[in-house]
Amino acid sequence: MSDNRYSLRQLNLMVRDAIEMHLPDEYWVEAELSECRERGGHCYMELIEKEEDSNTPVARASAKCWRQTWQMLQPHFERVTGQPLHAGLKVLLRVYPQYHEAYGFSWIVTDIDPTYTIGDMARKRQEIIRQLKEEGVFDLQRELCIPLFAQRIAVISAAGAAGYGDFCRQLEENEYGFQFEVTLFPAIMQGEQVESAIINALEQIYSLTSQPSPLASQFDVVVIIRGGGATADLSGFDTLALAEHVAQFPLPIITGIGHDRDESILDMVSNTRVKTPTAAAALLIDNLRQVLTRIDDAQQRINMAISQRLANHKSRLATLQALIPALVQRMLGNTRHRIDLLESRLPVAIERIMTNQKHKLSQIELLLQGYDPQRLLSRGYSITLHNGRAVRDPQQLKAGDEIETRVEKGTIWSVVKNEELRVKS
Amino acid sequence: MNDEMKYEEALAQLETIVRKMEANELDIDEIAAQLKTAQRLIKFCRDKLTKTEAELLEEQTDGQ
Repeated sequence: MSDNRYSLRQLNLMVRDAIEMHLPDEYWVEAELSECRERGGHCYMELIEKEEDSNTPVARASAKCWRQTWQMLQPHFERVTGQPLHAGLKVLLRVYPQYHEAYGFSWIVTDIDPTYTIGDMARKRQEIIRQLKEEGVFDLQRELCIPLFAQRIAVISAAGAAGYGDFCRQLEENEYGFQFEVTLFPAIMQGEQVESAIINALEQIYSLTSQPSPLASQFDVVVIIRGGGATADLSGFDTLALAEHVAQFPLPIITGIGHDRDESILDMVSNTRVKTPTAAAALLIDNLRQVLTRIDDAQQRINMAISQRLANHKSRLATLQALIPALVQRMLGNTRHRIDLLESRLPVAIERIMTNQKHKLSQIELLLQGYDPQRLLSRGYSITLHNGRAVRDPQQLKAGDEIETRVEKGTIWSVVKNEELRVKS
Repeated sequence: MNDEMKYEEALAQLETIVRKMEANELDIDEIAAQLKTAQRLIKFCRDKLTKTEAELLEEQTDGQ
């Protein structure tokens, strides 16, 4: 056995001396945080380095940030990266080594470069996006349409969150009197449990959606909102598993998780992203308002079409009606004209008839002249009349009858003397 | 979703009637009937926006 024995403290002090001698500077180190907690104003971290493409640690060490430094570094880091320091983050730390004979080895943090973390987060996000695209799910949500009558809303939010209150109030107080039916699926919206909490809520909604029962058990749209929190810790929204669940969800998802930095992956894969819960409510109200506008528009166009149609018919009727007097006039005119025409033909016709008649008359006259006894008388014949009738037979006469004999120049009255004298000619 | 589709279809049907009216595709005898249908569809859609499910159901049963 060697005589060179040390107490643990002695040996540890030697380690401490060696470290202080050989590592006197501060160093920038890249590492991943496997743990991070605050106690007594100090921040205690566990740093880890993993083998590339596997989770096997190849280096591990504790790190501490003393209160005075931490008070300055913490707000700066959160302001720049939008999240608190937490396990899983890659960080770039300025450290110096400290070996304490009683507490062991620690890196003491004197500075943190948040831009490194941002770069790493961005790289991780790019990786997740690439993977989602490769799986063909990145654009799935945007192929869905928010239904026209989207009124049954499943909300994923922290139960007591101010943002949820704003959302509900906004919907209830909409100026059009639209009815919404809001069902809350509470979920933790901050920190590392975000992923599992939202996935869990989505699964609940899905189970209610897929069993077709009437009314409240179905939803038109899912709204994920967050707001009113003190810090903007959005790291939990940028995970592959959550993005996959959201992207492949069968109902359209609206996100209003409020932040003004880069879009979170959740926003990228959702159907519609807005900034705040209030904006999400406004979007839903506007969706119904557009439907109402379509209905109003239809109503108005129907009224116009009908009144135009009626006006057309009225004016056609009026036109026809206006034509009637003129038509009647024309008809009357025609008739009058015909009458006039006929009337004018009348004298001619009468004239002709008269001429004909005259002609006929003169013919008859001529004919009659042939029968005129005067003409016989003038040629020396005479006519004997008895009681105004021509005497053709002497038997007609008795003695004492008065007869009248007409000759050319006059009439001879005689009395029959003797019946014997009646000689048969 | 089925109920939803019914309302969306109602709106689509309404707009078809409007288009036909505007295009003068309906004769005067059809118009009265189509106008009635249109007014019914308008009420149906409007009610959906502003009434609760319970109120809608009540009306439906009242109407039967």
